[in-house]
Amino acid sequence: MTEPEPTLASIDVDGALEETAGAVLGITRAELLARSAAASAAGAIGFLGLSRGSADAALAQTANDVAILRFDQALEALQAGLYTEAERLGALKPETLSWARVVGAHERAHLRAIKNLLGSKAIKDPAFDYGKVTADESAFLKTAVAFEDLTAALLKWQAPRLDSREIVAAAVSLHSVETRHAAWIRHLIGLQPAATAFDKPASQRRMAQLIDSTHFTVSRPKTASKKKPRFTG
Amino acid sequence: MDRAADPHIASSSRSALVTRGAIAAAALAAGGGLGLFARTTPAAAAPPSAEQDRKIFNFALLLEYLQAAFYTAAVEHGHLAGEVRSFAEVVAGHERAHVAYLRKALGPHARPRPTFDFGDATKTERAFLKAAVLLENTGVLAYNGQAANLTKPALAAAAEIVSVEGRHAAWVSSLAGEPPAPRAADVGVPSGAAVSKLESLGFLRAS
Repeated sequence: MTEPEPTLASIDVDGALEETAGAVLGITRAELLARSAAASAAGAIGFLGLSRGSADAALAQTANDVAILRFDQALEALQAGLYTEAERLGALKPETLSWARVVGAHERAHLRAIKNLLGSKAIKDPAFDYGKVTADESAFLKTAVAFEDLTAALLKWQAPRLDSREIVAAAVSLHSVETRHAAWIRHLIGLQPAATAFDKPASQRRMAQLIDSTHFTVSRPKTASKKKPRFTG
Repeated sequence: MDRAADPHIASSSRSALVTRGAIAAAALAAGGGLGLFARTTPAAAAPPSAEQDRKIFNFALLLEYLQAAFYTAAVEHGHLAGEVRSFAEVVAGHERAHVAYLRKALGPHARPRPTFDFGDATKTERAFLKAAVLLENTGVLAYNGQAANLTKPALAAAAEIVSVEGRHAAWVSSLAGEPPAPRAADVGVPSGAAVSKLESLGFLRAS
């Protein structure tokens, strides 16, 4: 596949909408906006934070929503870094790299969207060390499948726990993309892409366990402390 | 088009003719973009309620009836082979399970099962794949468009279903040689937009 990698600038709200409405449903963006009655489209579009002029419209107001989105910010940063590094190193099989290129761009867009939802409440992205995983086909695939399946499950757990309906609309629009990533990579390596009729949720605690087990995180996100790192080189 | 202005569509007849009109009525019931609230802000959308859950689940049930019937017909008549056949068989089972779940959740409020006409779309592999990609993508966007309108328990249940629809969409796109994840965000659409698409496919018997 020679599809150009989407840049962050290109994955803006207008683009997402045009693709959605045009490619899938054959209606124009203007029509869609005019017909949008629910919190759904307008909420997600306006507040994915990808649109012009919405950077200061942070929607995460309750402590609960902030906590959930901060967890997601760290997770998306981990995934974006993992796939971006794999793409840069170029050591994986072509079809795996192709997957990493597209999915890496998505996760970077998700990271940016979540930071915009958080506004000034965003955390500093943690630092990661992926070891040999990003250049080892087998280790990368195993890690990617685990993270995509569990991220989809996590977003299912979080969705009914969010307070803001606009954030719900935004979060579900990311959720189904994570399920696509999971099915896509499972299909690539011969696993059943959709193994059950219903996908069960998984808690933040479960995701935290997976993250811990990888030892990828070398710095915890700090939100309160303004201390300088001990080793500044 | 403002379907809300059409009294036939706005009525809640239990006519056996499950037609474009009835489909549109489902959309109307689901609060889809039908002109009534076209200019309102997201915050002004009707807050979640048990009654609204029922309307949205009935809209979802319509999508699931359609998908279940589509895959079942394709397995029977589509001359499908190999992985495309196993995809159709697996997904037919999932969609029937979704129908059963929604019918049980709705109880006596569940809408009756419509009849569909898939024409040639279930008769060849190529036509089947094309229609399946469209149906799955439309399903995902339609569910996402209603998520914020559901109560928390209903949202939790719908999320378990749309998750699997997203997997189907990626799987069938892979089989059809299309991008499995074409966008960074599957921004939800109003039910009316999804219904218009399903009508244009011609699978629904015209009145």
